[in-house]
This record gives sequence, C-alpha cells and structure tokens, in this order.
Amino acid sequence: MRDVAVVSFAPSEPGLTGVEETETQLLFPVINEALAKIGITRKDIGFTCSASCDYLAGAPFAFVQTLEATGAWPPISESHVEMDGAWALYEAWVRLQHGDVDVALAFSSGICSRADIREVLSIQLDPYYLAPLWLDPLSFGRLQAEAVGQEPPTQAPAYTDAAAAVVLAAGDRARELVDRPAWIAGIDHRTDAHYPGVRDLSKSESARIAGQQAGVDKAPVDVAYLSAQYPHEGLILMDALGLTHGYGLATNPLMVSGLIQVGTAADAVIKGDANRSVGHASAGPCLQQNLVAVFEA
Amino acid sequence: MSEPVRFVSQKVDLDYKVVTSPVARRFDEQMRAGRITGHKCPECGLVYVPPKGFCPIDCVITDESNEVEVRDAGTLTSFTVITPIQYQGQEEKEEYVLANILLDGASGTIGQQRVEGIPHSEVRMGMRVKAVWGGDPNEGSRGWGLTGAIKHWEPSGEPDEPKEKYQEHVL
Repeated sequence: MRDVAVVSFAPSEPGLTGVEETETQLLFPVINEALAKIGITRKDIGFTCSASCDYLAGAPFAFVQTLEATGAWPPISESHVEMDGAWALYEAWVRLQHGDVDVALAFSSGICSRADIREVLSIQLDPYYLAPLWLDPLSFGRLQAEAVGQEPPTQAPAYTDAAAAVVLAAGDRARELVDRPAWIAGIDHRTDAHYPGVRDLSKSESARIAGQQAGVDKAPVDVAYLSAQYPHEGLILMDALGLTHGYGLATNPLMVSGLIQVGTAADAVIKGDANRSVGHASAGPCLQQNLVAVFEA
Repeated sequence: MSEPVRFVSQKVDLDYKVVTSPVARRFDEQMRAGRITGHKCPECGLVYVPPKGFCPIDCVITDESNEVEVRDAGTLTSFTVITPIQYQGQEEKEEYVLANILLDGASGTIGQQRVEGIPHSEVRMGMRVKAVWGGDPNEGSRGWGLTGAIKHWEPSGEPDEPKEKYQEHVL
C-alpha cells in the first residue's frame, strides 16, 4: 500500500443554521482555507471527491453545483459520493493508491435548515419497507436505546448547516507539505443489513469489523472522535471499537459530521496533540454504516 | 394459482423552504427595477448572468463591486418546441417555445426562456430577441433563472447573427 496522509483540514464555523448562501458559497471558504494552510492552489489537486445529499437540497443533481467551488475548468478528475464526506475521504485515499496522482481534495456540505430532517430521512434511504411507518431518526434512536437498556432519547439531534474540506497527499509530497502528516495507518468502512429488523440493535457489527480492519487495537489510541448522535450510540461504538473514551459532536451537521470527526482526528496528529488518533463516521439508521480511520504521526 | 398481486398507494411529499441567497436577492431587486445584472470576474472578465457571487473558473469571490448591467436583448442560440403532455398539474395546453438566449454583454446563455410573437416554424438559431417586461416578479422564485419579471422574449427585428457569433454557446 502507498503511504497516504491527511495534510490539511478546514471545517466551517460550528453550529451554523439558517444559512442564506448556496452550498457552493458555503464551500468556498473551507476549500480556500484547507489549501491556504499548506500553501497550494486548486491547480495542485490531482483528484477531487465531493459529498452531499440531493435530498437535503431538495433538488435533483444539486451536487453538480458544488463543483463550481473547485475550479473545474479545464475539466478535472473528480467524483461524488451521496454519503457523509468521510466516504469522500475514503475514495480519495483509494484514488491515491493508484499511484499516478499525489494530492487529493475531499469535501462535503449539507444545509439541514431548509426542510424537516426527520421527514426527509424517513424516506430518503428506505422508500419501500419502512416508509409507510414514517420511522425517523428519533424513532430509530429510541429503538436502539431500548435495545441497549438506556434511557430512550426524547429529541432528535440538533441538525446544523456545515461544510468541511480535507487535503490528502501521498509519500514525499505529504512530507513536503506539512511537518507532521497524519498518516492513514488504516481505514475501512462496513455496512450492516438494510433492514433494522434483522439486526441485533444492541451492538454494531459493522463498526466492530471496520475498527478491526483499520487496526484500532494494534496500539494505544491517544484520542478518538466518534460520530454518535445519541449517548447510547457512543456506548455502542466504544464497545465495538474497544475504546474507553471518545469525543462526539454537540450537533449533527448531516453529510459533514463524519468528515469533521475524521478530519479533527487527523488534525490532532498534524498539530502534535496526538501521535495516534481514531476518527469515525456513521450513516443510516441505528449506526447502519460505519467508517473508521486510524491516523499516526 | 398464486394470489393476485395487491397494491398499496402511498402519496409522499416533502416540504422545503426556498432560501434566496443575498446575491440572488440583489439580482431580483434589480430585475424588479427593470435591470438585468451580472457579475464580471475581476480576473478573466467573464460576465455571469444571473450572478453567482464567484467565478467558478478562477474561484474568486465576486460581489456588488463586480456588478455590471447587461442588455435586455440578445441572440437565440438554441430552442425547443415543446408539446405539453397532459399529466396531472400540467398548465400548458398548446405547443410553446423555450430557448437559450445569449444576452448582449453576458458571457453565457440563460436557459428555458419563453419565446412568443413568432410562428414556431420560423424560430431559428441566431435570431435576435428582446425582452417583454411586465411579468409577475414573484414567479420563478427558486433562486435561479431570471425570475418572472420578464414575461417572455420576442423577435427584435434586427438581422440574424452569423453562426460564428454564437456557435460556442450552442448546447
């Protein structure tokens, strides 16, 4: 495998809601900052991967417009995931393994304040089996809390608006760009079954396997940042990853929260606050999909 | 014999709040005053109508200091005669024309513009058109397009442009 590191991370200001700008305008400053921190420009990027959700924007092909923040003319090599930005980071890591490009940009954006997110999520990913029941993130959260014997939550997470960007670089290029690259020692993502009724909701098998494949337990972890929407999700994740402590986010900027957690874990290594960190992202009902990244100095 | 398949119909709707960005809001105010405006990129000089608040090629932010007015006349670069299918909610009954128009002073076309005042068989690429104002500016409120202030476009009577003048803008 090729050595690949996160060399820069820039999130938008936390807790934004009711933003008036377009998603593209929201992305401009974070992409600018991620590049400016390491003194490169858009022309230095060999591959770009974006992440967003057309269901949040309420418009088909809304994701195409965010490309306007990347300087995509003349045409660039790019891709998009309809997932949290942490999965865009994963695709950028895969792309850098090809060996022909050395620098990649991954970013994500989400504006949650223009729709009822509980309604949107209830039909976004399962318009078939569970849609007639209008199962939403709070219903799922309560089901899972009960499965682990915790007090069921009474409120859905505070959804906020956000954007974030990370820059990845391979080998010597990473060493040129920053003193302490956050080397990706392991990264993996797994998915549990689509239908919650066939899962044991008291644990997260996909998080466990992703953590194992990423090598979380190979050495002590200085700090871990987990995408947990509810306290019980934090407990399930720490159990699945074999951790005793992890930081969560106070709010849930959909599509961006995972990239923020993974980016913050990488940033801890870049800044010298940690020598080994773990970042986690989650998507889907009851922690259905999980991504784990381990960073080392 | 298996049982006949049974169907359940469920109508789903999602409500979204449409938020007009500050750049689009300013553009809308200018449209209500009868002016079509764009932003001119300080680096490459391209004029974006409607303005985006940035140049997507140079990736520089633009604002009111980059605002320019373009003419309410231009060249039709491509068009479609649409036969409205009578699906539920369809308000159009007769065939109509939608066109892309390259406004004088703009660097790119505006799309989906209604063209009236000419037999459909005579609509052509390169035709010069002018705006017919007096529409409802509250229509077309999703934050893109030219809002409803312009009712439609009609032939201006000027000679057609040669294809060299607009061929880069034919989609």
